[in-house]
Amino acid sequence: MARLTPALRAVALANSRDRGSFGSIATNNFFLVTALFLQKAGAFVFLLLGVILLFPLSADPLKKLPPERLALWPLNGRQRRLLRLMTPWLAPPAWIILGLIGFAVYRTVTIGVVATVAAFFVLGFLVSLIPDTRRQGIFRYVPAFPGSLGQLSRNHFRQMLATLDFYAALLLAASAAIYRLIAPRFEHEIALAMAVLSLLALSSHALCLFGLDGPQGFTRYRLLPLHGWRILAAKNGAFLAVAVLLTLPLAPLSGLAGGLAALAFGNFPSVSEPREQVRWRFSSGASIGLGLLQTFAITSAAVLTDRFGPLILLPCAMALAASLWYCGRILDSPLSAFAD
Amino acid sequence: MISCRQLTKRFGDFTAVDNLSFEVEEGAICAFLGPNGAGKSTTLKMLTGLLPPTSGAATVAGLDVAAHPFELKKHIGVLPENLGLFDDLTVEEHLRLTGDVYGLPHADTLHRTAELLSTLGLEHGRNTFAGRCSHGMRKKTALAMAMLPNPRVLFLDEPFEALDPVSSRNLRDILEGIAARGITVFLTSHILALIERIATQIVVVRGGTVVFSEFTSALERPLEDLYFDLIEPPPMEKLEWLGSPRR
Repeated sequence: MARLTPALRAVALANSRDRGSFGSIATNNFFLVTALFLQKAGAFVFLLLGVILLFPLSADPLKKLPPERLALWPLNGRQRRLLRLMTPWLAPPAWIILGLIGFAVYRTVTIGVVATVAAFFVLGFLVSLIPDTRRQGIFRYVPAFPGSLGQLSRNHFRQMLATLDFYAALLLAASAAIYRLIAPRFEHEIALAMAVLSLLALSSHALCLFGLDGPQGFTRYRLLPLHGWRILAAKNGAFLAVAVLLTLPLAPLSGLAGGLAALAFGNFPSVSEPREQVRWRFSSGASIGLGLLQTFAITSAAVLTDRFGPLILLPCAMALAASLWYCGRILDSPLSAFAD
Repeated sequence: MISCRQLTKRFGDFTAVDNLSFEVEEGAICAFLGPNGAGKSTTLKMLTGLLPPTSGAATVAGLDVAAHPFELKKHIGVLPENLGLFDDLTVEEHLRLTGDVYGLPHADTLHRTAELLSTLGLEHGRNTFAGRCSHGMRKKTALAMAMLPNPRVLFLDEPFEALDPVSSRNLRDILEGIAARGITVFLTSHILALIERIATQIVVVRGGTVVFSEFTSALERPLEDLYFDLIEPPPMEKLEWLGSPRR
């Protein structure tokens, strides 16, 4: 036990530090807007966020340690088996399930709820055991975008696939699209509302477009013979592609308008104050004020396009062009936040 | 091809590079040597436009680094200290990105990519995401990116570090070949034996200032001896607990 305790402590420490990254949801636009405006009606959205969060929280805690380091630790076979058995209990969902079982005993929750949460936990745990190379392999099928910036856009598209924002938006859009297919009557307003909600789920990512590039990405952007606006345009292109694809079955033109508005507001905080993001977490937005302004802009652009047609796309595109020009100049500055 | 005049970089009170001046001719292989923290990478960053100098001036390929940073990028290939790779692009996609951005015809990009992948031993990992590559593979990818656009000047920060012996020899041959064809190579390294073989010019820095600058043909004694005379080693502890009875 003398050698096992420090090993367990190291795993616990690595996991508790990692759990801090889940705090990004507190500054996520979608979460804030749902909490502020939808209130009780937002229960469905909170449930959805909870389910999405359950997956990364269920990941095998032992995965937080480099396998080479783990293999080198002077632990015998029995100690390694004990470590294997004990570490799943460092994952918060394991304790949540224990608590739910307690509630189930007193019949305050049903066995079905406990079984569902347990199933998600086991699924999340097992998925985390699949080697990263195989899990990431599916990203290879993201096609290159056309043009000289195609690979940069492809890179950003893949980065978006590694954020929880995308999966929240996907679940919202997909559930609405499926409902539209099977429901006998589907109000147009519902389609619009769900399209806007999907865009809001993506909106925080638009505020931190360089969050997953890291210092290496910053260096490469500064080395490439590209003006800042073109680098931003490549990222904006990927974001718009995701936004349009998700809203395609609901309200594509409104989705495009909302995406343009999200980026017009998002480019400035992205370049002036690039905040590092963590993969498989929700994106953390900028200030609450900017988040609310962006939300207002997305909603207005989407609703106005729905009312008055594609003409509204013009001011949205102009706003984005202006933001590209201005923020591109910030990127080009030798004293930008991207300088070493 | 490269000219520095009183190049200085300060970070607050700390002077990383202090009044650095030297010249490098076209087609030269200039080794920029010095201990860790001597200011080598900072100088490289200033010469490649990654970092603005506090004072002084530098020209690369006839372009003032501070005045024409964008134009400069079209003429140089850089292997940066942190490699500058995207975790979500594969090895081959990085090379395609480089070809596209530098405006190479598609056929040229494909041809050069195939040759570089083969020469650097990257063919087997061409579809591996950079984030999943070994350090050696990542370094080779960044090297290939630096060479693909056929730059006039190559800036390489520690190009031989983490390379296997065969790749290291291949790179040595490549650098000698391209220098003979007029490309200027400016590199940093700690592998003195290798530098002695390939470099045509040596610049040694210590504490941000040049302490030695000479053509290798004029060296009168082995580079290693010279280097250890110029760079004082830090005080050594004996670490007597290593090898003593275990506790």
